[in-house]
Amino acid sequence: MDAESSTLSRCIRRGLVVRVTIAACALLISACSLPPPPGSQAAPDELVWAIGGAASNPGAVNEQIAELYKEQDSSRPTVRVEQLPNSADLQREQMAYESQAQGAGFDILGLDVIWTGEFAVNGWIESLEDIRGDLEGVVLDSAMASGTYENELWAAPFNTNAGFLYYRTDLVDEPPATWDELAQMAQEVGQREGIAGYVGQGSQYEGLVVNFLELVWGAGGGLINEDGDEAILTQNDAGTRALEFLQSARQDGVLAPGFNTMTEEEGRFLFQGGDAVFMRNWPYAYGLMSGEDEENPSQVAGNFDIAPIPTFTGEGTTSALGGFNLAVSAFSEKKDLAKEFVAWIATDADAQGLLAENATPPVRQATYDELQDDPVMALLGEILPDAQPRPPVPAYNFLSQEIQQVVFPAYNSSAPVEQTIESLNAELTSELQG
Amino acid sequence: MAVETETPVTERQPEESQHKGMSERQLARVFVAPSVITMVVVAAFPIIFAIFLSLYAYQGRQQTGFAGLGNYIEAFTDPRFWDSVIATFVFTVASVTFEFLIGMGFALIMNRAFFGRGVIRATILIPWVIPTVISAQMWFNMFNITPGFVNSVLPFVPADFNWLGTENWAMFAIVFADVWKTAPFVALLLLAGLQTIPEDLYEAARVDGASAIQRFRSVTLPLLKPAILVALLFRTVDALRIYDLPAVMTGGAFGTETLSVLVQQFIVQTPDPGLGSAFSTLTFIVVLGVGIVFVSLLGRDLVIGEEE
Amino acid sequence: MSEPVTPTAEAPQRDDQPSTSPGNGGSAGAVSGADSTGSRIAKTVMLLIIFVWCLFPFVWLISTSLKQGNEALGDPNMFQGPFGIDNYRIVFGEGFLYNLRNTLVVATFTTIICVLIGAFAGYALARLPLKRKALWLSGVLAASLFPPVALIPALYEVWRALGLLNTYPGLYIPYVSFTLPLTIFILVTFFSSIPPELAEAAKVDGATPFQTFFRVVLPLAAPGVFAAAIIVFIFATNEFLIASTFAPRDLSVQTATTAVAFFTGATEFERPIGTITAACVVISVPLIIMTLIFQRRIVAGLTAGGVKG
Repeated sequence: MDAESSTLSRCIRRGLVVRVTIAACALLISACSLPPPPGSQAAPDELVWAIGGAASNPGAVNEQIAELYKEQDSSRPTVRVEQLPNSADLQREQMAYESQAQGAGFDILGLDVIWTGEFAVNGWIESLEDIRGDLEGVVLDSAMASGTYENELWAAPFNTNAGFLYYRTDLVDEPPATWDELAQMAQEVGQREGIAGYVGQGSQYEGLVVNFLELVWGAGGGLINEDGDEAILTQNDAGTRALEFLQSARQDGVLAPGFNTMTEEEGRFLFQGGDAVFMRNWPYAYGLMSGEDEENPSQVAGNFDIAPIPTFTGEGTTSALGGFNLAVSAFSEKKDLAKEFVAWIATDADAQGLLAENATPPVRQATYDELQDDPVMALLGEILPDAQPRPPVPAYNFLSQEIQQVVFPAYNSSAPVEQTIESLNAELTSELQG
Repeated sequence: MAVETETPVTERQPEESQHKGMSERQLARVFVAPSVITMVVVAAFPIIFAIFLSLYAYQGRQQTGFAGLGNYIEAFTDPRFWDSVIATFVFTVASVTFEFLIGMGFALIMNRAFFGRGVIRATILIPWVIPTVISAQMWFNMFNITPGFVNSVLPFVPADFNWLGTENWAMFAIVFADVWKTAPFVALLLLAGLQTIPEDLYEAARVDGASAIQRFRSVTLPLLKPAILVALLFRTVDALRIYDLPAVMTGGAFGTETLSVLVQQFIVQTPDPGLGSAFSTLTFIVVLGVGIVFVSLLGRDLVIGEEE
Repeated sequence: MSEPVTPTAEAPQRDDQPSTSPGNGGSAGAVSGADSTGSRIAKTVMLLIIFVWCLFPFVWLISTSLKQGNEALGDPNMFQGPFGIDNYRIVFGEGFLYNLRNTLVVATFTTIICVLIGAFAGYALARLPLKRKALWLSGVLAASLFPPVALIPALYEVWRALGLLNTYPGLYIPYVSFTLPLTIFILVTFFSSIPPELAEAAKVDGATPFQTFFRVVLPLAAPGVFAAAIIVFIFATNEFLIASTFAPRDLSVQTATTAVAFFTGATEFERPIGTITAACVVISVPLIIMTLIFQRRIVAGLTAGGVKG
């Protein structure tokens, strides 16, 4: 064996080891010199409110509301916002883990409107029947329905959301009242101007289910029956009409190219850039397209308006209900305090007013009356009473998945519509019946 | 002679030779012990638990009774399962093939580079260094029709070409994103192997009059075989389990739902622990099968001191 | 892209240090000056391709992270401003420094432990007498193949019972377990490429098996050790699933990749691509610097060892 190379290798190895060790120590020392992170000590008498999304950032509206709670009455407990990840799935997962471990880490849970049944059936949340009286009549009925499972109130409404039809006022005089009208106008105007006809949420995710259900409701149909044991997509041929509309809209070029990968933001970009005639989106887009923000220029500022979502008959309107409800964790050690907070937040004028100021639709009926001047609030006030919640049954996730798996490929191909809807309906029914 | 035993807490052999430290046989067991213990605790137990779960029926998250092989039957009769098997294999074959061709090319080039060697080697790791969850978002942003970066950069592609929303092209985009990230990794593995090949062998071959291609075939490839097989093995099993790219870029649409995406669906998004564990076990069997094939190819060349 | 087999007969330059075997350098053999130039150009082009391949998306990342405002981020044009460091300010404003520290600590522990016990196991499997090695190899491999997402629920329960949630060991122990198979396989490959005669010679010289391993064999497998170390380190910094489940929100343990999952846009549906790319750049740059340093070590270790054919 070469003595020289073994010594050399030993030297190099030692030199390296020394250097690496020094570097590692230096880093660890500097790392340890960081002060302890904020919020790592939990105060004993505070309520932990677990909720995700942009509104839960430090200083954003959820925190403002939490501070307001304490400001109004200093004898109340402090509420701390515990921010959850941005994606809805991750939020649910983190709350699920905490609940499955029966941890008392969260007192108040911010639930998407479609999770009520699941959380209730798993025993993760407390029944809120005893505060129902405080909420009924003050809070929108449709929002209440989204927090109700098997006639029991499990989650109290916090904020809500409904879909608008955005249209270009410089290209179209009157917003269409029926879907067929919309398709026709979209095609005509789109071709004339060389832009897309209609943008919505067409990617394979929950947004597609929302769009699809709005079509179904607009045709006089529904998703599940009153008893919750049967799927009713075939009622009034609604499912067929809905899928047919999507399919032919795609084939005729009414849908924007890339519709099938669009979520809310992609559609907004397109419409905001002046490249679409109609858009189905949530109210949040209204303010963003006003062009007031320098770093967010809008080609359509001043040239668009909002209208209720059309139906197939031209009568009425049905939008899907979105938003968040608040539930009390079944493992919380401060349930009564938590319930008080939850009841307060839905009914307090100032709290709900804060929401409205931050482009988040409130659930308090009276707030809409107070804010009639704002076009977004006015339209919301008009359509929210007819807005339909997606049924918050425990099986909703499965139903939604099934719909996505079937409707998405179907509208992107020439699959036979009626058969597809019938088999989908059968599948959903069998899922509901366990 | 002092015996340096720096191994962490492990089983102690009852008698250690006083003069020569541990014998080879004892050393072997001591050496293998920490790895085994770690993997048993972290991997073996949850695997067994998951397989156990797969034998039970669930309604949502609530257990409703013993299902035996019921979940497996449900899995096998679900066309969605078979679609995902096909998607996974298509992805794996395409991705591994291209990353090897490209990776080998890179490795050969880097082996013979005559300037900036260190810089190149650092550069080559950049794709690997970027976290997968982020590179998935990055490629989604690039391929997606809005804002349409790829469309704007490629001259022969129309501005409204819907990569992620078109059958087959969606798979192409995902394969591309994966190859971008992993070809450099393969190149690194192969390069390390290339550099163990002594100069003299090439010299000897050249003296014998072998051309470059012949040298590659007779010197490089045989000596590189272990490295190639290891790289192939790990890249293949990784590709079979790909999750982030299809989940972020297409959500599994248009035939890109791979086995891992399917598993994630049933463990996290629409939880059914029984069915989800069944899918996981099936995935495991598929991937393990492929892995064992590779190991048996590797095995003979690799180990010395095997006892019967 | 087909394999570029270089047409020249020029002997490959090994590295900064002179190779121990003679006959290197220049264009040995019968080649004309024109061939050299042609091959040089070809090589340069190839190198450029590699550069572009690797760097271009990274440049895109940097440019996107510097963009501000909806319009810039929605525009495919890389040079569409306005530009600024707002995204970085936002990222660091929420305690990202802690996340970086946590990632560093976890990755360091993971790498050291994994490479250590992986080297032991690799050597045992390559060179020491051990029964049924094929079985060990398969077992090692199998342990890493089960879809991690299915293992998490069971592991979570165990970790909760052991109080390992929101702790550093709670993260690096699973990481070690997941990276051991690849490490072991890489090191088995390297150990077996070292001629057994060296170990024999050491034995003759009176070394114990352990000394043979530590003083003779291990240094020669240095390239493999460093390759494995880099791979493990990068895996540990990039890992998301385990980190986000076992240490989701506690800033004293939360890693950088988990923190990124909490980034939101200014409004509810926005994809915060600006801050995400900024965080990514921040995570990646130190890693790249680190690999730049370690790359030289791999080669240095090799030529000094000088494996003889």
